[in-house]
Amino acid sequence: MAHLFPSEPWATAYKGAVNDNPNYKSAGKDWTHGAVALIVRADPSIQLDQDMAILLDVHAGTCNAASYMSGADAREKAAFAVEGPYDNWKKLIVENQDPIKALMQGKLKLTKGHLPTMIRYVESSKQLLASAQGVPTEFRR
Amino acid sequence: MSADYASRIAFGPGAEDNGLASMVAGLILQNLQDRPDKRGDFARLHGNISIVAEDAGVAMTLEFAGDHLTVHDGIVGIPSITVRAKSDDIVQMSLLELTRRFALPNPRGATARAIADKSRRGEVRVFGALLHLPMLLRLTRLLSVN
Repeated sequence: MAHLFPSEPWATAYKGAVNDNPNYKSAGKDWTHGAVALIVRADPSIQLDQDMAILLDVHAGTCNAASYMSGADAREKAAFAVEGPYDNWKKLIVENQDPIKALMQGKLKLTKGHLPTMIRYVESSKQLLASAQGVPTEFRR
Repeated sequence: MSADYASRIAFGPGAEDNGLASMVAGLILQNLQDRPDKRGDFARLHGNISIVAEDAGVAMTLEFAGDHLTVHDGIVGIPSITVRAKSDDIVQMSLLELTRRFALPNPRGATARAIADKSRRGEVRVFGALLHLPMLLRLTRLLSVN
């Protein structure tokens, strides 16, 4: 059953996908730097009236929780935040696009967090986002 | 020396919208704020260095003027050094292992060996490296997360 992206059911399924990804378990085993927020910018044309986020409580290769919340709340709670428009997130998920390339092209932005730490864990970040491909997803457009 | 490095990094037109430029500038700023041992390299850098993420179709130029940096969108001026590589490999370069003594790239490090292999295959190209080796070493240390 496909889950609407982004939404609470999608977040729940994403948590499972992250934990089912052995590459993330390996690459993220040393991650102890806090929660990561994936923030989708507001887009009223697809009923996203405010920024919405998936907040991932990830630690030592395991996703302990994935919560759907406002972008504002996620920015406050997360140690790291990556933001972008809906269409860019969709492209990342559908095409398994390299998130590093997306950051360099300005399609996504790291808006919170210590950049050198993120770079040290670049493989972990890539696997975290690659896990999204394991979620049956229904897109809003 | 003042620790207000944010005021010493400026963006040229369009550079803040360039993801590569933002990332590199952000990395340099964070390193300068966190690591006093990298500030000497920043102060001694003069000239232009361009970085091209070939798979992403993005380029940027770092214009160093000794303790001041202007970050440009695209290739600006005649760079002393130009680095051409895939996005992943550019990020890998900031993971280069450094020797404890003199903080030089450690040729025995796994990342250094991988980058060297890619250089031999032409996947990573650094133009001007030999002519401007001290500049390249300073940049490497400045961008390193190690």
